[in-house]
Amino acid sequence: MRHPAVIALALFVHSFLPAGLEAAPFRTSILPILTKAGCNAGACHGAATGQGGFRLSLLGYDPVQDHENLTRELGGRRIDVTQPEASLILRKASGQVEHEGGRKLRRDSRGYDLLKAWIAAGAPYGSPDLQVARIDVEPDDTLLEGTNRTVALRTKAFLSDGTSQDVTEIALYTSNDDAIAEVSKTGLVTSVGRGLASIMVRHSGQVAAARVAVPLGESLAPTPEWTPLSFIDKHLFAELARMRVPASPMSGDAEFLRRAHLDLTGLLPRPEVARSFLSSPPSVAKRLSVINELVDSESFIDFWTMKLADLFLLNGKSEPADAYYSWLRGQVASRVPYDQLVRALLTAKGELTKVGPANFSTLANDPRDFSEHVARMFLGSQVACARCHAHPSDRWTQEDYHQFAAYFARLRHEDGLVQIAARGEVDHPKTGKPVSPKPLGGSAAIPDPAADRRAALAEWMISPDNSRFSSAFVNRVWKHLFGRGLVEPVDDMRPTNPPTHPELLEALAADFSKHRYDLRHLIREIVSSRAYQLTSATRGVNRWDDRLYSHAYAKELPAAVFADAVAQVTGVPDTFEGYPAGTRAVQLFTPATISPELDVLGRCLRKGPCDGSAGGGGGLARALHLINGSTINDKLTGGIMESLRDLPSGDVVEELYCRALTRPPRPEEYDEWKGVLDQAPERFEAAQDLLWTLLNSREFGMNH
Amino acid sequence: MNTLPSSPLRRCDGVSRRDFLHLGVLASFGWSVRDLLGLQAAAGVIPATRSAATSCILIWLDGGPSHLDMFDLKPDAPSEVRSQFKAIPTDVAGLHICEHLPRTAAVMKEVALIRSLTHELGNHDTGARFLLTGHRPTPALEHPSLGSLVAHARGFGAAMPPYVAIPGDGVGGNSGAAKSGYLPRAFSAFNVGSDPSRVNGLQSPEGVSFARSDLRRDMLKKMDSFTRGVEQGSGGSRGDRDAFYEQAYRLLASPEAKAAFDLSREKPEVRQRYGSARIGAGCLLARRLVEAGSRFVTVVDTGWDTHQQIFKELPDSRFAGSGKLPSLDRAYAALITDLRERGLLDSTLVVLMGEFGRTPKLNAFGGRDHWPRAGSVCLAGGGVKGGQVIGATDSYGEVPVDRPIGPPDLAFSLLKLLGVDPSRELLTPSGRPMKIMSEGSFIAELI
Repeated sequence: MRHPAVIALALFVHSFLPAGLEAAPFRTSILPILTKAGCNAGACHGAATGQGGFRLSLLGYDPVQDHENLTRELGGRRIDVTQPEASLILRKASGQVEHEGGRKLRRDSRGYDLLKAWIAAGAPYGSPDLQVARIDVEPDDTLLEGTNRTVALRTKAFLSDGTSQDVTEIALYTSNDDAIAEVSKTGLVTSVGRGLASIMVRHSGQVAAARVAVPLGESLAPTPEWTPLSFIDKHLFAELARMRVPASPMSGDAEFLRRAHLDLTGLLPRPEVARSFLSSPPSVAKRLSVINELVDSESFIDFWTMKLADLFLLNGKSEPADAYYSWLRGQVASRVPYDQLVRALLTAKGELTKVGPANFSTLANDPRDFSEHVARMFLGSQVACARCHAHPSDRWTQEDYHQFAAYFARLRHEDGLVQIAARGEVDHPKTGKPVSPKPLGGSAAIPDPAADRRAALAEWMISPDNSRFSSAFVNRVWKHLFGRGLVEPVDDMRPTNPPTHPELLEALAADFSKHRYDLRHLIREIVSSRAYQLTSATRGVNRWDDRLYSHAYAKELPAAVFADAVAQVTGVPDTFEGYPAGTRAVQLFTPATISPELDVLGRCLRKGPCDGSAGGGGGLARALHLINGSTINDKLTGGIMESLRDLPSGDVVEELYCRALTRPPRPEEYDEWKGVLDQAPERFEAAQDLLWTLLNSREFGMNH
Repeated sequence: MNTLPSSPLRRCDGVSRRDFLHLGVLASFGWSVRDLLGLQAAAGVIPATRSAATSCILIWLDGGPSHLDMFDLKPDAPSEVRSQFKAIPTDVAGLHICEHLPRTAAVMKEVALIRSLTHELGNHDTGARFLLTGHRPTPALEHPSLGSLVAHARGFGAAMPPYVAIPGDGVGGNSGAAKSGYLPRAFSAFNVGSDPSRVNGLQSPEGVSFARSDLRRDMLKKMDSFTRGVEQGSGGSRGDRDAFYEQAYRLLASPEAKAAFDLSREKPEVRQRYGSARIGAGCLLARRLVEAGSRFVTVVDTGWDTHQQIFKELPDSRFAGSGKLPSLDRAYAALITDLRERGLLDSTLVVLMGEFGRTPKLNAFGGRDHWPRAGSVCLAGGGVKGGQVIGATDSYGEVPVDRPIGPPDLAFSLLKLLGVDPSRELLTPSGRPMKIMSEGSFIAELI
């Protein structure tokens, strides 16, 4: 270690007194020294099995056990109260005796002195209740004007006894992107690249984050005098200005129409719809009316039922899956607010074939596994780490984890029936004792012992006070529409993984909650914004931007949407066993429906969260399939091809472009393909080849 | 009723790709992977060091194979631990393995058996990722699978895809096995689909001649060149798409490469030798692919998560001899001997493993649960010294008592054997230099 932890004197004024009087408390003052020195890192003594016979809890989540191991094990040789400097902990850490981890603490450091004084004072634990309640980092949002600029972070800990300490020197700092910002062991941030980064700060089980921004542009780009169409625009454009990134212009009508149709309904605009829309002069009002039509359409219901089914991992078979899907579609169709829908999922019981939402409870057998699904889906939280130890990058403890799981301790499903058992508990793995149910990071009334515990959880979950519930959902919808979440990954929302636009996410979540968790309202709000309607063509430095929404980000069509789009363009529908003719891929109840085509296209299998690339499909296999396989090649006869037989070549080109790309061919495209068709010995084959080409093209496969 | 999904991101590894400010390394025009290769050059790629092994076949026993019932039997342990299977002698003096692996017992001279694999990640997904990347999964960065690293080091250029995955039965499984992590997605595995005996997409559709296929390809290039202004800077998906099409066309243009995927070109007696089970076809296909120039082929065999009735399921399952062990035994031994007979064993490293071992103590259902603290791995070929056992577990098969080997050590060693320098630095999409392996060391006994 070239830079041993230098502990500022100020840190311990309230606790550090001469030996024999009051010693520094172990948990809040001594343990952080060990953490900072790296003693309890996962690769060292913090490993599950310890290291070299000495085990500490990972990053100090279990101070009592750590104190015990330090002072009692090995016949007390680690700590020698009579001869503090002979203590193994000091001799090993300072490299005076052989230590595999090397020297971690210099003898002339403040940390060494403090440890020594604490040992001399009898190595006490201190008050059992004293702990760090939260930490603050300042400044929490910094703009650095260019590269090689610095800002010094200050971290303050607030203790449970009401006092506070400056812990800048002993907190831990990690940059989430050290190609943009690097951070030193003492919290000095240096900009090394351009963009947005965040610095995670950890201390004594608490976490915080600081955002660091380095503008992409050298100078402020001239911003057009735009009237924001929505509060969304205000937030996004302010950040673009701050980061000196120019926004791209508004999309043309064709680009907008295709994007909105695909995003809202998973279908391409029908050619006649496209022609009529493109033939009238551009206006904000005409776009709004399209948005309203789409939001109110039947295909919107199908598409968003699929999106929700992906989220809820609806993957069953036969009658239960039918019941579940029909229920879900009914909820979307009758505009049941999202909070009510989730309440139903969380509390349903009964026969799987009769009570659709009861199927949700079959996601897992174990209450812990089940609670992980619930936390991920509805709170965007990854809590699994806290199953075995305190979460290293979030605030959850093992206690939090098991208390949350306890809501599902009595949930049972067998023989096609979901019910609540009279007894059943979740035990804390350490104490072996049952824990009482408590929501993650909140409080709720302890349920009546006889009642279904899940009802209390559902109340807490969907309460307007629980903004994480609406944030998590809003973030998912945002990601669908923009191709990127305000928080990424959408399943990993935590204080140390801040949004790119915190105020915007907050405003959207509040708006969603205020509008009674109305999915259609949320989508309308976002899609009506100018930001959503920007073109995907880039402008100047904004081509480097992938998180400020300076232009529309192209999205690959999801497998089911791609398959439906091919069917739609060719006029040759797919058939799915067990479904009526004309059923589209988006309308399938469950991925248990056999379809090798959808598999190779990479459909969401609903076994785990789908990020668009899930499943075994995609990649080279998908490319080969699209070139040679049935999805495209079996649809080049019949359907639209027959009706094009007698049209002039130029019209064929125009018709196919309009169907596949929702735009007329540009002159050079028109000339090229018309030439190809006119000169072909077999015009029908050439037209088939043109259709094949369009369906394989980069532009067709993207929503841009 | 819902089928049980894989655990909901049970992870201190809720990993997903880090958010990078994309520097546009993939936002190039046209169908060229030259840029991907350019990325290598920028990272200061050292040419692969010479070594015996040029290819790898990884047989992945998905679910966690039971070390106590296959390669590390404890005949003297109490009945609640002891396998009901007999230990039989092998062609290596003093080495005994399970009675249901008789063919394998006859090729153990080629095998370095590691009995002391140990780690602490006891669920399928995280355990698999740990083994297949050599990195303990973390939320910070998704590491590439070993196959992607090998593909990346060897590069494209040839008609054969460098990295191929032959999936197991049923959907899902550990698709994480094929992931390219922070490397471009073009280095993820080519998944041959559900039936190894019939790889789709390699033949032109009916009625489409070679000439017409070529014409279509040219039309597609033209079409994409018209729309090159579309979707710039969209986070790499476009660069990936283009790379996949380029790979596809390179493969389609080579009759030899296409033939490699065609199992019907094998004589019936060869197919017979590998067995009729899926893993047999998978191993045979893997041999053909490696022979034709693929660098890393993963054969996934599912069904090893034996929580119940292990002594019936492993050997017999539906009927006598239909279990996992006999199929594996036939396929594995056939692969080793076939490679040897063809002179390919020295250049082909064959790895047999799964995500973890299983609990020494039998559970109430006569099965064994997940046990990452001890497991066995078989390495053969590729210059590995066979006929030896590395490491040992205690008398219950609970923990290694000698020579504990972690997934980083294993990954480090496999990469090294395959001529990939584990200390080499690669670039993440954000331009951050990243050592392939930051921990782990070479298992010296192997060579």
